[in-house]
Amino acid sequence: MRIRHVVAAASGALLVASLAACGGGAAASGGGEKVQGGTIVYGHEQEPPCIFGGWVQQAYISRNILDSVVTMADDGSIKPWLATAWKISDDGLTYTFTLKPGVKFTDGTALDAQAVADNFAYWEKGGNSTAKVSIDPYFKAARAIDATHLEVTLNKPYLPLLQMISQAYFGIQSPTALKRSDQLNCEDPIGSGAFKVQEWKHGQEVVLTKNPDYTSWPATAKHEGPAIVDTVRWKFLNDAVSRYSSLATGETNVIYDVPTVNWKDAKTKYDVQQYITPGKPVSIYLNTVNGIFTDKSVRQAFAYGADRKAAVEAAFHGVIPYEGNPSVSQSTPGYNASVAGAYAFDQPKANELLDQAGWTTRDAAGYRTKDGKQLAVKFTYPAGSVFTTEGATVLQILQQQWKQVGFNVTLIPETQAETFAGKYSGPKAYDAQPWYWTSPSSAILWIVWRPDTKESPNGSNSAFYNNDQLSTVIQAGNSAATTEEANAKYAEAQQIIQDNAPAVGLYTQTTSIASARNLHDVWLEKSQGEPVFADAYFTK
Amino acid sequence: MTAIALPYRAALRLRPATVVSVLVVAVLVVALIAPGLLTTRDPNAIDLQSTLLSPSWSHWFGTDDAGRDLYTRVVYGTRESFGIGLGATALAMVIAIVLGFVAGLARGFVDTVLSRILDVAFAFPVLLLALLLIAIRGPSLGTVIVAVGIGSAPGYARMVRGQVLHVRQAGYIQASHALGHTRWAVIRQHLFPNAMRPLVAMMTLGIGQSIVWASGLAFLGLGVAPPSPEWGALLDAGRAAITTSPWLEILPGLVIVVATLALTSLGRTLQHRLEGAAR
Repeated sequence: MRIRHVVAAASGALLVASLAACGGGAAASGGGEKVQGGTIVYGHEQEPPCIFGGWVQQAYISRNILDSVVTMADDGSIKPWLATAWKISDDGLTYTFTLKPGVKFTDGTALDAQAVADNFAYWEKGGNSTAKVSIDPYFKAARAIDATHLEVTLNKPYLPLLQMISQAYFGIQSPTALKRSDQLNCEDPIGSGAFKVQEWKHGQEVVLTKNPDYTSWPATAKHEGPAIVDTVRWKFLNDAVSRYSSLATGETNVIYDVPTVNWKDAKTKYDVQQYITPGKPVSIYLNTVNGIFTDKSVRQAFAYGADRKAAVEAAFHGVIPYEGNPSVSQSTPGYNASVAGAYAFDQPKANELLDQAGWTTRDAAGYRTKDGKQLAVKFTYPAGSVFTTEGATVLQILQQQWKQVGFNVTLIPETQAETFAGKYSGPKAYDAQPWYWTSPSSAILWIVWRPDTKESPNGSNSAFYNNDQLSTVIQAGNSAATTEEANAKYAEAQQIIQDNAPAVGLYTQTTSIASARNLHDVWLEKSQGEPVFADAYFTK
Repeated sequence: MTAIALPYRAALRLRPATVVSVLVVAVLVVALIAPGLLTTRDPNAIDLQSTLLSPSWSHWFGTDDAGRDLYTRVVYGTRESFGIGLGATALAMVIAIVLGFVAGLARGFVDTVLSRILDVAFAFPVLLLALLLIAIRGPSLGTVIVAVGIGSAPGYARMVRGQVLHVRQAGYIQASHALGHTRWAVIRQHLFPNAMRPLVAMMTLGIGQSIVWASGLAFLGLGVAPPSPEWGALLDAGRAAITTSPWLEILPGLVIVVATLALTSLGRTLQHRLEGAAR
């Protein structure tokens, strides 16, 4: 067995030494007197259906309650968390994790290797759909060797396994608690994290209280020990204007998703952080099996036909970057920067492609037609839950530009209820639909572009684009022996996607927070950009 | 009747509020029928070099985040906002007339059942009913018209029923029956026109109210699809920039207020006028 990675549990000790003094009255790094205790009021945007689950909005909060086996550092490397070290077999099929001893869930259950193995089984049984698709079909089994050693075996080598399980979707829950009803687990998941759920006032806030017995902080933590503040009030302030105003009035200490129109102002008044999350950026899936986009030339014309870069820069006031690569965001390891420049705004080229595709005539309104049929695009998008006001403005700008080359794009904003009910899913429901998917690895390519077949459906392949060559190349990347080899394959996959245009790039999925200047050490973790409050403290 | 009505009409002509209301509604009607007479711009024309400009001579209401001229969008939005107001009020009236006349004419058990149903429906806030319908059918122009129309109908239906009950007691109705006119003839020639008279004014008031409700739904993102310049949709689109570009909220908001006040004022005037004529 070749040891690929062994990391000492104390690797973060030097980092945290200067911040470890938690007693009241200690000097803070940013000036002022450090306060022990207090309540952080955090203004978040979306209220999730459960406090853990497979949506990033669930991961945001569960990251503060559940600990994971490993975590991701700022440089993208994997660091210890519940696991202090791990070994990977030469064939890449067996991972042996050494777990931190003596860790307990907040219900008193021991967090041992069996508990982690039970969580893998729970995810595979559908307990967390995103966790499942993130390791399928590579994951084979997880078993406890003894109390502190866990063995995870794979069907095929899967190089991004550690990156994938660093996401909060893989937060470990008490197996005792998981035996409770789904409703109880939804409302009050039991982990070993820095905070536990005290109360969920639906429609208003989740109140998190400090876990005083916390012992299992990650190597990336900014201090050792339980959380410094006593309480985090995780408030749901969906309206961006109210959320931003709440900082000025002192109703919140920190907010999520600073409105881009206020970004410049926020930088002068608050401590701001912005993180371009890795994974699939916000890009537009084009339906390749039904409607006008079955023709590759029409898809390419759609990509050429609008100035996506200018639209993004205008609508987001230059705060959120344009992303021309539709499959992998620029902050993702393995990103192919060369494909991002494809399909730059070129309406003559779009017109040429549409002419060649037979859309040569125009109706009275100026839209192209072919055999009496209009070049119409039914464009559905999840308003609010995925698309902010700025995102909706981008689409309206593009709609007018697509009109110039002859596309009649009808924008259909979906309500959150419609999105969750799947009203606009399936190949008959739309021609174009934008989505994002945060993920710390280019392995997101497999989740999204795995062929959608009857035998093995892939509901995440929203372009319904099946390409055997693409599938082979992504799998080669996933099972590569080295990161360099994997990245080369992922880059090739991104090129195939861009060449065939089953999706069109728009902008990066970006996390931002603004915090009052007397609040310190709220940080964004790197796999998905969740705000972490375990190290945060006030100064006076 | 004529002796009272003539001085009353003369007095109406002198009321400044009435004159202003008529002028405002006249402008709105022009915007509704021929918006091109009030602006030469395209309401959806994008200009990325001119985003979020404050009001000026070249852009009276400023521009939005896509560089669209807000004044032009407000002008073109009249068609949808008024369309919803007219459509919803017309639908509400049709429902109200059918239910109100059936209840008022049938009386007895049918009247009791219909009246209780209307009481229950009336107790529901219009917006709540509208939200329920939109949740089932999904947001669209048609759904908003139907939702606001159905939501407003119970109030009108109770009014129609009351009018029918009131008018059917009138002496000329009794006389018509005594003269041997058929029931249908009495309803068609006497009862219907007289029962409907006050409702003409109520319809005018209702249009303004429906515009406000529809704007509220659009503000919640449950109205017509983008890039519609419907007034409530303009408010919804502009609220993100309320602290930096307040004209995006203030100016369309003022238009909604002025249009609704003008329609309400005109409705009240008509109401008084018709009541005067009925004396």
